[in-house]
Amino acid sequence: VVRRPWRRPEAAMAGPARPLLRRALAAAPPSTRQLREAEEAAPVFQYAGKAARRKDRVFVWGFSFSGALGVPSFVRPDAGWKNPRRVQTTPYRLETEGKISSAACGYGFTLLASNTRDITKVWGMGLNKDSQLGFQRSRRDQTKGYEYVLEPSPIPLPLEKPQQTRVLQVSCGRAHSLVLTDSEGVFTMGNNSYGQCGRKVVEDEIYSESHLIHQLKEFDSRVVQVVCGQDHSLFRTKKGTVYACGWGADGQTGLGHYNITSVPTKLHGDIAGVNIVQVSSCGDCCLAVSDEGDVFGWGNSEYLQLASVTESTQVNVPRHLPFKIGKIKEAACGGTGNIVLTEEGNVFVWGYGILGKGPNLIETAEPEMIPASLFGQSDFSPDTRVARVRCGLSQFAALTNKGELFVWGKNLRGCLGTGRMEDQYFPWRVTVPGEVVDVACGVDHMVSMVRSFI
Amino acid sequence: LNALPGRAPRQRIRFLPAPGGGGAVGLVPTRVPVLADHPLVRGPRFRKLKIGAGHRLDVKASGVFVLGIGHGNKLLTDLYNCHLTKVYTVGGLFGKATDDFSDTGKLIEKTTFDHITREKLERILAVVQGANQKALLLYSNIDMKTQEAYELAVKGLIRPMGKSPPIITAVRCLQFALPEFQLEIHCLHETQQYLRKMVHEIGLELKSSAVCTQVRRIRDGVFTVDDALPRTQWNLQSIQEAIQNCQLKVETELEKTLG
Repeated sequence: VVRRPWRRPEAAMAGPARPLLRRALAAAPPSTRQLREAEEAAPVFQYAGKAARRKDRVFVWGFSFSGALGVPSFVRPDAGWKNPRRVQTTPYRLETEGKISSAACGYGFTLLASNTRDITKVWGMGLNKDSQLGFQRSRRDQTKGYEYVLEPSPIPLPLEKPQQTRVLQVSCGRAHSLVLTDSEGVFTMGNNSYGQCGRKVVEDEIYSESHLIHQLKEFDSRVVQVVCGQDHSLFRTKKGTVYACGWGADGQTGLGHYNITSVPTKLHGDIAGVNIVQVSSCGDCCLAVSDEGDVFGWGNSEYLQLASVTESTQVNVPRHLPFKIGKIKEAACGGTGNIVLTEEGNVFVWGYGILGKGPNLIETAEPEMIPASLFGQSDFSPDTRVARVRCGLSQFAALTNKGELFVWGKNLRGCLGTGRMEDQYFPWRVTVPGEVVDVACGVDHMVSMVRSFI
Repeated sequence: LNALPGRAPRQRIRFLPAPGGGGAVGLVPTRVPVLADHPLVRGPRFRKLKIGAGHRLDVKASGVFVLGIGHGNKLLTDLYNCHLTKVYTVGGLFGKATDDFSDTGKLIEKTTFDHITREKLERILAVVQGANQKALLLYSNIDMKTQEAYELAVKGLIRPMGKSPPIITAVRCLQFALPEFQLEIHCLHETQQYLRKMVHEIGLELKSSAVCTQVRRIRDGVFTVDDALPRTQWNLQSIQEAIQNCQLKVETELEKTLG
């Protein structure tokens, strides 16, 4: 057995070769016995052994000019004749230095985090005008920082025990980012004009080229999930309580008022005493799911997101949304539309915009189900179910248990990854060369974590 | 066919001279068969038969092959325009790669295959199916932005009604026993060589190689293996019975699809 590295064969093999027109003076064609012996004597090549492990990869697509995709040649081509690529409409493989366990897309920037104990745990790329990627020292001028980071660059976190702490999750908002660690609380960086970083608002603070990374530790128990809305932050603790800080003019902090909050404060309302297992927010509306399958919402309701309980357009206290669609497993909140996944594997959407049921459904206050046949369920594969749902600002993404990614919504600057620039009115498969494990949606780009097939 | 009793000759009334001796010259009307209808004058009724073939089946493949006789040729054209799927059982063998993708071709390479499991194969088949589903929607020439496209996509009725490259609508693995495996493939506008190439590509995706050992068509639109006549039944009686049994099915299918 001869070991060989895997390489796709260069030329596609055509049919049997045409016989030569010249009269062949060679020996007679080999007999069957000779052919069989030659076959048995041929060497056997091994491309993958029995213990071959599946590789983890990262694929990115969407608007690339801000550097958010992490491929410098899209913005500054490496050859003179190449043109810069503004939009990457199909998934493009991004080479990363380690296995990426968590990714988040903000407004023109991306954060990638790895679960490792090495010194470098978080990489960032894209817009850095508010230091949402920390301080990226410029190589040309050591005193200045980069405003646009074109490839994944390590973010220096002020950890006490950098070789023991692990980064669990990252989240990005409009101009700020949150990094969740397992033993050192939450690190926040970026714009703090509304207190979204959890520290006191300093008047006339200059956020660009700032070295300040704030650490938040005062919660009633360990924080297990961090979520960034547009200009506010939500923290979910192990005990099931939710804390919020940041801008509250739409009531998205859920604290009962419409003012700015600069210190993470506990939420009450309908979620007081309820064990919340998941929180989600992307724009100005927030959703929370409890362990019993109930969903609670607060924040902006101008697009009928919370119209099932109230007529007002801003809700500043968490309200229970009485939907009779079954126990809810996961919820995702977008800019104008919301999506939930029930225990049975059904997907429900409501709100405003391209919701996924054709161009006729523009807005609805009550959840509408998207038929499972659109996600690949058929007589041939009856056990295909949607496993995860994610929301960008005006797009939706759904992952099935077979590892397929379906997207729909407004195709802003090619963020859907379908290869076309048109909006998609019903779930459409994205062709990714691998099994999609997780996807992070931003405003105009998406990042997916993929495992190879073999 | 010519041995079967044919139509009775037409009869005509002719006025023939009455039998009997001379004397009265009376004409008696008698019914007489027309001479032009006499078998010796007319000749055999069937000299040629118009037989047309449905979707092609190449030399190395086997299975259902649809033929149309006479008026059936027009039905064949209509059935072709319905663009119904065909179902094949494709047998494959891991470990070899040949130049024409079948096990009788010239050997190109031998590879190991002990790392392949049924789960990995099914993962690859799911991807193949997904990519082909996209192709199905793309070549159906329906504007994706309409509500009608959404309704058809939900029901799964979108399919290309014109020319398109080969599309596989469904695949599943029937048997898996290393190094052999068997797949059931539902496809449109394909050739058998394309299916063999598909087996080769599946081998490549699994970081090994595969050749196709058997391609058998088990369904061609509305005709299944049960309707098909085996070699022993290639006689007039069975053919007539088969045509009669299929008539109703073909008519309903044509009406449903072409309206």
